[in-house]
Amino acid sequence: MAPQAQAQSLLNVSYDPTREFYREYNAAFAAHWESLGKDRASIETSHGGSGAQARSVIDGLNAQVVTLALASDIDRIAEAGKLPEDWQSKLPHNSSPYTSTIVFLVREGNPRDITDWGDLIAEGVQVITPNPKTSGGARWNYLAAWAWAEKNGQEPQEFVGQLFKNVPVLDSGARGSTTTFAQRGIGDVLLAWENEAYLALKELGEDQFDIIVPSVSVLAEPPVALVESNIADDAQRELANEYLDYLYSPEAQALAFKHFYRAWDTSAAAPEDVERFPEVELVDIEHFGGWKQVQDEHFGDGGIFDQIYVPQ
Amino acid sequence: MPGLGLSAGITLTMLSLVVLLPIGALLWQGANFGLSNIWATVNRPRVWAALYLSFRLSLFAAIFNLIFGVLLAWVLVRYRFPGRRFLDAAVDLPFALPTAVAGIALTALYAPNGVLGGFARDWIAPIGNAVFGPFGAQFSGKIAYTQIGIFIALVFVGLPFVARTVQPVIEEIEREVEEASATLGAGRLYTIRRVILPMLSPAALTGFALALARAVGEYGSVIFIAGNIPMLTEIAPLLIVIQLEEFNYDAAAAIGIAMLVISFAMLLAINLIQIWSRRRIGHV
Repeated sequence: MAPQAQAQSLLNVSYDPTREFYREYNAAFAAHWESLGKDRASIETSHGGSGAQARSVIDGLNAQVVTLALASDIDRIAEAGKLPEDWQSKLPHNSSPYTSTIVFLVREGNPRDITDWGDLIAEGVQVITPNPKTSGGARWNYLAAWAWAEKNGQEPQEFVGQLFKNVPVLDSGARGSTTTFAQRGIGDVLLAWENEAYLALKELGEDQFDIIVPSVSVLAEPPVALVESNIADDAQRELANEYLDYLYSPEAQALAFKHFYRAWDTSAAAPEDVERFPEVELVDIEHFGGWKQVQDEHFGDGGIFDQIYVPQ
Repeated sequence: MPGLGLSAGITLTMLSLVVLLPIGALLWQGANFGLSNIWATVNRPRVWAALYLSFRLSLFAAIFNLIFGVLLAWVLVRYRFPGRRFLDAAVDLPFALPTAVAGIALTALYAPNGVLGGFARDWIAPIGNAVFGPFGAQFSGKIAYTQIGIFIALVFVGLPFVARTVQPVIEEIEREVEEASATLGAGRLYTIRRVILPMLSPAALTGFALALARAVGEYGSVIFIAGNIPMLTEIAPLLIVIQLEEFNYDAAAAIGIAMLVISFAMLLAINLIQIWSRRRIGHV
């Protein structure tokens, strides 16, 4: 085989809380790629809010690979013609190599005795969540609360409305909310990605916060995809495909577990990383009719979320 | 002026590329959307609330900056004291700092567990409520995540504008002018009102307009301290970002155009005041 003229490069456009995971994954993948006898590849990852990242790719950011928080963000890129509409069927598990869910982070000892969604609408409880209008993660928070209300005989719209009446600060992103709760000391409970909650515990001290897993939550599937129209040549396509496929390898799945994601393949993962996750009843997006419907009905202009804040 | 044709050509081209084209693109997007759609987007309680909040607090912050910017410039020019040069340099810091950094720093300071936020809650609020309680609203002592927090952020980003525009004018005013006024029998306040302020007012108004314009469009520093609760502490630029987040470019452009129109009206009003004050004073 003729030697390649130049080092291959790859840009992975991702969302905020995957920073630590992809830093390690890129190093592992680079080693894997060279072990296949290939030339060294240079891999860059860009992080930001999921929607903003999708917009950059639509507007021309030359990403070969996107790893975003919501399938609907990648759907938008597909609508712009940058990748095929059936992208989500190309890789196993709905193109989601790892999943996560929404849990509660409370202050050490759980002073407000919060055990499930129902406790969040109690008088005087302050709930911290990012704004569902600007944060993909916050949409999962909202949907998880909705699912719990449905299953517990409450009127979901009313329940979610009451919950957001208890929110004193709506940050624009997940990290912002974690800061508000952990560093600024605002609120009694933080609704967070499970991986963000564990990360906060690790970074800020296990003696300060507890993680509470509610009885019902959502199956958040952050999907990955190859951006067809940004692939320069076959060599880059091969690199990009391998980059995505390798996410499903036992080594990469172990890394995902290590970074507090619920991955699929436990064969190479450290047992304590796997045991960390308790069983939860998880509701997926199809339960709500898929992202397209959810986006219009709940989070679109004048949708159910907007109605929470209409003056009575 | 030699080379007028060339220099004017370069300037106008640059101005078009850097300023007029983006604004043109915004208006173009709006034109495609249509006037009635723009109105429908803007004419909703939540958008009105955000616009009212943004412009009202920007106006308050600009007025605050007008008063304290002039005082600050006066002190920096007229008095010699230790640390004056340091203070003079520090005035520009809000320009140099990324606004998001400023927002995070201000929030850390004014959050209930921050130094100033804690002080306000534990001392200012109880004393204030004991003294003023019977006369009106109770102050809970919260600064961050309220409109007071937004106001503080807007003051921070706008402060250099007034100070820096009036500083050179104060340097131009000779002390003899004040002495002449005094020897003719004017008191201090009369001298300030009839001699000093008229000379300062055109520059101060320019600084006021700049501070106001900056505050209206400010995003980075405000969203961290605002709390962003719709109808209460949600600023208009955040609504634009929210629309973009929904890939709703038309609605974002509509709110942008509404802000542009209101800003333009306010700047026009300030210009008219400037013209009026110049006529009245008759010189400068």
